Amino acid sequence: MLTYLFRRLLLLGPTLLGVSMIVFSVFALAPGGIEGALVANDGNLTPGAKEARERYLKQRYGLDSPPPIQYLRWLNKISPVGMKQDDIGKYTGFGFKSPDLGDSFMRNRPVRVLIAESLPYTLMLQLISVPVTYVIAMLAGLLAARKRGGFFDVASGTFFLGMYSFPVIALSVLMIGFLANANYIKIFPAQGLSSLQADVWPYLPGYANGHFVPGYLLDVCWHLIVPVICLSYGNFAFLCKLTRASVLENFRADYVRTARAKGLRENVVLFRHVFRNSLIPLITFLASLLPSLIIGSVVVENVFGIRGMGQLFVEAAQQRDFELSLGITIITSTLTLLSYLLSDILYMVADPRVTFE
Amino acid sequence: MTVAAPSSSGLPLGSPTAASAVERTRPFFAQALHDTFARRGAQFGLAWICVLAFLSVFAPFLASSFPLYFKDASGVESFPLFAQLTWIDVTLLASFIAFALLFFVPSRVIGWGIKLLILTAVTIAAAFIAAAVIHPPNIQTYARYRTLAKSGQTSSLSAPIPYSPSDRQRDQSESDFLSPRAGHILGTDRDSSDVASRLIHATRIALSIGFVSTGIQIVVGILIGGIMGYFAGKTDMFGMRLIEIFEAMPRLLVLITVTTFLGRNMFLIMVVIGLTSWPGTARYIRAEFLRLRNQDFVHAAVALGLPLRSILLRHMLPNGISPVLVSLSFGVASAILLESTLSFLGLGLVDSPSWGNMLDQARAAGGGFNWWMAVFPTLMIFMTVFAYNLIGEALRDALDPKLRQ
Repeated sequence: MLTYLFRRLLLLGPTLLGVSMIVFSVFALAPGGIEGALVANDGNLTPGAKEARERYLKQRYGLDSPPPIQYLRWLNKISPVGMKQDDIGKYTGFGFKSPDLGDSFMRNRPVRVLIAESLPYTLMLQLISVPVTYVIAMLAGLLAARKRGGFFDVASGTFFLGMYSFPVIALSVLMIGFLANANYIKIFPAQGLSSLQADVWPYLPGYANGHFVPGYLLDVCWHLIVPVICLSYGNFAFLCKLTRASVLENFRADYVRTARAKGLRENVVLFRHVFRNSLIPLITFLASLLPSLIIGSVVVENVFGIRGMGQLFVEAAQQRDFELSLGITIITSTLTLLSYLLSDILYMVADPRVTFE
Repeated sequence: MTVAAPSSSGLPLGSPTAASAVERTRPFFAQALHDTFARRGAQFGLAWICVLAFLSVFAPFLASSFPLYFKDASGVESFPLFAQLTWIDVTLLASFIAFALLFFVPSRVIGWGIKLLILTAVTIAAAFIAAAVIHPPNIQTYARYRTLAKSGQTSSLSAPIPYSPSDRQRDQSESDFLSPRAGHILGTDRDSSDVASRLIHATRIALSIGFVSTGIQIVVGILIGGIMGYFAGKTDMFGMRLIEIFEAMPRLLVLITVTTFLGRNMFLIMVVIGLTSWPGTARYIRAEFLRLRNQDFVHAAVALGLPLRSILLRHMLPNGISPVLVSLSFGVASAILLESTLSFLGLGLVDSPSWGNMLDQARAAGGGFNWWMAVFPTLMIFMTVFAYNLIGEALRDALDPKLRQ
């Protein structure tokens, strides 16, 4: 198993290299090449700032060299291992260094800092919605499989497919429009992750000056409900169908017949025998949920005004902020690859029959 | 040889079809298609897609500011709508007519392959002829016939929805964000265009993006997956890395990057969606080909000295294509979703009607909510994606060997 993990980790490098090459070439193909994409934004800079930016770009990409060289220079900058450079851009040696993702033109701050600020919000949304999705989907799938062809099974099958087909963009707009709007029903907040007054509230709910104060924690939870629903329902429907299929497959297995023949109660068969074994394939789907989670968080963060990576990326694209878009794409790809690896490891841990040798 | 017609009525949704009980006398794919469309869900899906196809072919006749027939005050008759048709409209009409004619010719007279060839030939020929011959006026004065009609003494026959999708109605004051009412059955949008008209014209973009990008996905997927599966070994290893690279790239982010930096172009969007979604297809085909490459008929084909093209495409592909057929339907659904998400974020096509873009306009400035801009586009996107998913699911059940007993 360790050899397998080591091999996978080694393969991570070439894959990331390929991703970076493809993404970089999109920018190189832009009209006017890299410098076209970069310098086009420099219209209203003061003379001093303009020269500083040109110097920065020249050192970073070598704007007079051909795209492959520009790619290599940029790659050297962003990789944690590579040629070191001194202040004036001369290469001084080879070794470990801190990766430099460049500066955002839009915000005039390093890309690394911007990503570090926004990533926690995105991760928080995902880390809440994934367990919620799994728990509810497994129970619903189990119920559907229990009476195959029964009313709940047939009704839920079509209903879940409908849910899966319902676009995130539509649900988030409809929920904001009907449930967070004073003209219809105003239950949920429409924007952000906390109320304006939340900063001065205590952390836990309680009474202050005779009034009930929801407190910071409850306030954030309240703000999170709609975004988390929007982020999870599609995957929920998908997982539910998978659970059903997996449980049904296990029902046909010999060990279930044995358990029933022993005279075990149906609930014991279902929960202690079938259910546990049905969980194994679900683990592998953790990774395949990721693409839809990324799309979901881009949409949800934009609609609900959450300052996560998705919102940052759309802003960067709208402003044509080259280095910020590139940085976010590379970081997202890296996280995707790592989560594929994680789900493979989980799979091996959960099912001792699985080996990748 | 008689086949008892399986009754498609009275079947509950999701149950195995009655057709599986019938002795199988049809070819495999014909049987699979028959089983698929014996299910209610798939029938509904097909019906909705036929509606969409109808809307997209006849869009200019259903919603246009130009009347079909017009007689002005001096009695001169004209057909303004026909003068406005573009080469795309004419090509679509021609291929629709060809399709309708071919559909009613029994397949015993003309085979399916020949029919498909004729349809493609007619479409391509119509496209070239229409593009060369038809030159609609560059500047459209949408308000012209409205003002003429108001001045009286004219008679005209207008389209059911008398507004073109990009008719901003500058001749009528304060007509942006009107809720549904007589005249604008589904209301108007930010630019005072009629929502119903834009919804109808947007079916074209949605359907074409779905079809073309899935086509690209299938072709690339079959090519790469087939080569990987047939050659196995080092080729397979290399192909797997390529698949991993494309799977690691976030599709939406790449799509947004390309549209913002390379230009907002419909063909570019189609190509990017196609090129980022082939890994799934390639994986399926690879697995099938790895299984098939050691079977006797493939060994026989190799021993006979057949060219590689023939082994891969004529012998192995028909045996390994069924999982791809399933991913085809789901692929169209996800491409349509992706395009509407892109338009929703305001990064899609400029000025073309799009469901996602209309949905975006539901959130008005100052916390308002234009419900008609949310509900109707949502219905269109949802119904379309649901239709394709229903067909995909019915196909999967029909092709799944485990369920065919």
